[in-house]
Amino acid sequence: MTSVIGKSVKRTDTLGKVTGGAVYAGDVVLPGMLFGRMKRSTVAHARIASIDVSKALALPGVKAILTHADVPRVLHYGSPHPRSASVTQDQYILDTKVRYWGEGVAAVAATSEEIAELACELITVDYEPLPAVFTVDEALAPAAPKIHDVGPGGNLVLDPFLIKRGDVEKGFAEAELIIEGEYGMGRPTPAYMEPNVCLCQWDPLGKLTIWTSTQSPFMVRGTLAEVLGLPLNKVRVLVDHMGGGFGAKQDLFQHEFLCALLAQRTRRPVRMEFTRKETFLGGRTRHPGTIWLRQGFKRDGTITAREAKIVFNSGAYGSHGPGVTAVATASLTSLYRCENVRLEGRCVYTNTPIAGAFRGYGVVQSYYALDIQMDEVAETLGIDPAELKLKNAVREGDIAPSNHPLTGHGLEDCIRRGIMETGWATRRARGRAPQTGRLKRGWGMGCEMHGSSAYPGIKEQGNAVVRMNEDGSVTLLTGTTGLGTGAHTALAQITAEELGVRFEDVAVVHGDTDVVPWDIGAFASHTTFMAGRACQMAAAQVKAKVLARAADKLEVSAADLEVQDSVITVRGVPGMRLTVREAIAAERGIPAPQLLGEGSYHPTKAYSFGAHFVEVEVDTETGQVSVLQVVPVHEIGKVIHPIAAAGQIEGGIQQGIGHTLSEDYVIDPKDGRSLNASFVDYKMPLAMDMPPIRTIILETAPSDGGPFGAKGVGEDPIIAIGPAIANAIHDAIGVRFRHYPITPEQILAALAEKAGEQAA
Amino acid sequence: MHPFAYFEPTTLDETVALLARHGRTADLMAGGTDLLVEIKEQIRRPAAVINLKKIPGLADLTCDAATGLRIGALVTVRTIETSAEVQKLYPALAQAARDIGSIQIRTRATIAGNVCRASPSADTLPPLIAYGGRIEMVGPSGPRSIALESFFTGPGKTALADGEIVTALVLPPQPEQAGSDYIKHGRRKAMELATVGVAVALRRDGGVCRDVRIVLGAVAPTPIRARAAEVLLEGSTPDETTIAAAGCAARGESRPISNVRASADYRRAMVDVLTRRAVAAAWERTR
Repeated sequence: MTSVIGKSVKRTDTLGKVTGGAVYAGDVVLPGMLFGRMKRSTVAHARIASIDVSKALALPGVKAILTHADVPRVLHYGSPHPRSASVTQDQYILDTKVRYWGEGVAAVAATSEEIAELACELITVDYEPLPAVFTVDEALAPAAPKIHDVGPGGNLVLDPFLIKRGDVEKGFAEAELIIEGEYGMGRPTPAYMEPNVCLCQWDPLGKLTIWTSTQSPFMVRGTLAEVLGLPLNKVRVLVDHMGGGFGAKQDLFQHEFLCALLAQRTRRPVRMEFTRKETFLGGRTRHPGTIWLRQGFKRDGTITAREAKIVFNSGAYGSHGPGVTAVATASLTSLYRCENVRLEGRCVYTNTPIAGAFRGYGVVQSYYALDIQMDEVAETLGIDPAELKLKNAVREGDIAPSNHPLTGHGLEDCIRRGIMETGWATRRARGRAPQTGRLKRGWGMGCEMHGSSAYPGIKEQGNAVVRMNEDGSVTLLTGTTGLGTGAHTALAQITAEELGVRFEDVAVVHGDTDVVPWDIGAFASHTTFMAGRACQMAAAQVKAKVLARAADKLEVSAADLEVQDSVITVRGVPGMRLTVREAIAAERGIPAPQLLGEGSYHPTKAYSFGAHFVEVEVDTETGQVSVLQVVPVHEIGKVIHPIAAAGQIEGGIQQGIGHTLSEDYVIDPKDGRSLNASFVDYKMPLAMDMPPIRTIILETAPSDGGPFGAKGVGEDPIIAIGPAIANAIHDAIGVRFRHYPITPEQILAALAEKAGEQAA
Repeated sequence: MHPFAYFEPTTLDETVALLARHGRTADLMAGGTDLLVEIKEQIRRPAAVINLKKIPGLADLTCDAATGLRIGALVTVRTIETSAEVQKLYPALAQAARDIGSIQIRTRATIAGNVCRASPSADTLPPLIAYGGRIEMVGPSGPRSIALESFFTGPGKTALADGEIVTALVLPPQPEQAGSDYIKHGRRKAMELATVGVAVALRRDGGVCRDVRIVLGAVAPTPIRARAAEVLLEGSTPDETTIAAAGCAARGESRPISNVRASADYRRAMVDVLTRRAVAAAWERTR
């Protein structure tokens, strides 16, 4: 019987957020603070011949201007996992070249935002234009201009990533049906509420403090220290509350370096905050791309072979291109069982804004292709798509993308439950009466699995320090960032549960790299899984110390003691009890003991699973699609906080609906300009667009690696919704789309084409 | 934000004098929902901003069946949206008001501001024109009034002369058995600019419709009347065939552009669909 986990306790961050008391990086104001702005490129690819800052410097209120001549020329990773295989060392703080329209070329610090803005306009840049490439095809052409001097050449971010298992030729030879197709993906951006912002201050002894909106404060510390030539104890990174990151805020952005350098130059605190437009220009998007996928099947639906070629558009820099490419490619070994696979992933530089880490990390793209193709096969073979997917679902013992055997039957459980909950068979086109009229409804489903932790791409480590205070209250020190997900609440729950104290007795200290234990960053659906397990380990140590002391006082064996809700009892001796506070209290003038636990955990991998069932309605006159309802079924092991877990699922569905139906950051194919770098023309679904969501969470395949069997849920819900919608559209109108976003215009055109074919 | 001089006149005369003094470097502010954003985004850099909110009487709204609707220059979009009388007598206008931005924006934004901004996609313009609205202005040479239909001269451009300000929008009383509708097409259900907007106003005369006005938004530099479509419907019974013909005619009259929101072809197709739907809905409301 658990007393804290599995309960939707009141989140530790809500009161601060609803009262406005929660401090975000942009809320911090320091005396004498200056305002930094970046001058951004107006060409997509050019050498900078010269930059004239004289007029800007002469403007009253301007305190410093930095160009490439003024900043350390250090090639850095721009991303938080130095020397891991996930990222690329290809960025300078400011370079003598620009590689995309919107890249920063200079930075200003001034006494007001207005003056800083005006100063940016007064800076003139003389560009020597270079030929630019905006699509993968252009970038891979033999005569394409070279965007980087680093990397394997040919505008590749990394050497092609290859995976081969089994015998693909034999698999296709045995196939009774071979199906292939090309699937295309647009360019969604994370559109986090809080634009990137940081504030930098140097103390007189040369120590840098930076408040910044980041998912990975220790990576910010490490990279800044490296680039600025400082020891780690001279860089302090602070992040209290965050307004979202969705993966993108793992990167280090140009402004974070420039802000530190401007503050150093001016000897004053400097704040730099992105405008909304800059979150598009200078932010990170999901990787656009194409996936060619070919599979062989037996007539009964057994998969005999799978071959895929993934090509991702990385934009002007590598960022997480290598990691995303590897994870996407490896993901196609799984979800639906297949022993013979040959997969290739490539990632290509273009002169467009930077693609990076984004919730789903390549798997949104790969499973969109895979899950739509499964529906195509089901249609051809005359098998129900949910039944076909259930038949092929990966299960206990199958080798996961991480090369581990999978545990349990999570995916099958999700599919079965969704079939039952929705009355699936009668909902689909062939189970219902033909529809007349302009509105056509349809049902579709899609599946997903996603790893908790970035292992084996990154060897990770989760840490926690748990301290019990002399009144029995507990302080948890964690390095993990709260993106707004409620992560710290979950960590406090795990600590309280393991330690046997009340949830309210645990306070969380986070967000200060000088104080909290090292952390790799909040990403890869691993915070609850990995940091949570570290908390559990640390709490167990403290619990043992508390019980040892209680055993002394009660003169019983510690092995006979139990503790729950901060009360210690003796097994088999009713009435004998001691509060935790009494157990550890000062005695006869001797202070209470120092009670410290320290957990350090190296996770491998666990997989969570999901199946989304969706009903859509297509207006065949306007091409508009309404998502009418979603039934997401997720298997995530032990649930720590049910409402927070459901919140992740609902939020992922909202983002996924946007990806699939409307969100696309459009780059002009002629000159590389951003055409919709604002919320005026980049449209996410809002509350009015959201359908009812009936979330079902299963705990049928808990992980030994997670705290109390918990697994990740952060990224999972954005993956299956896409193919589920595309498949539902097909069920409604009989038209197959193999890309996202699927726009009303394309639906009308496809319907017209279909009508033409039928007439002919 | 770019610095500017700020004025809060308390009379129309004072306002006109301020405008005379500052000329084209001054911007008038009512709700400020467009103006302030444009200043922040450096689309506009007025030397002076003249806030009209302190002028008494400009926020007056009168609406009744006998005298029609009079919307003072400071009447907010939210006031129009939530007025029971407007909902009853001018439902297409109430609908258009409801389609603008968010509740927060509608609570600040004014109908006159929406008109003066003269965006081709502005939601309230098609219904205001369809209802035969007029616009009242005052300037150095005194007050004047013109039909709204001729007020718009291009994107962001109007017939408002230098030194003039808008004081009210006036819609005539609705005839017996009137029916009207406004349909907006967007990429999502709220917080959206119209890809296409269609307003229809007409009245029932026995089995036929009369005084048909169809106004298209976001498919030309200004809102435009779909006159060929109107002629097809005038004196006709709006059955399926006639309505289809009207939709087709309206489509032919639209002159949309292609941009990141939609292609010209798609906009034309939507003019057809929405015109048919709006005519049918307006006719239905005459019962």
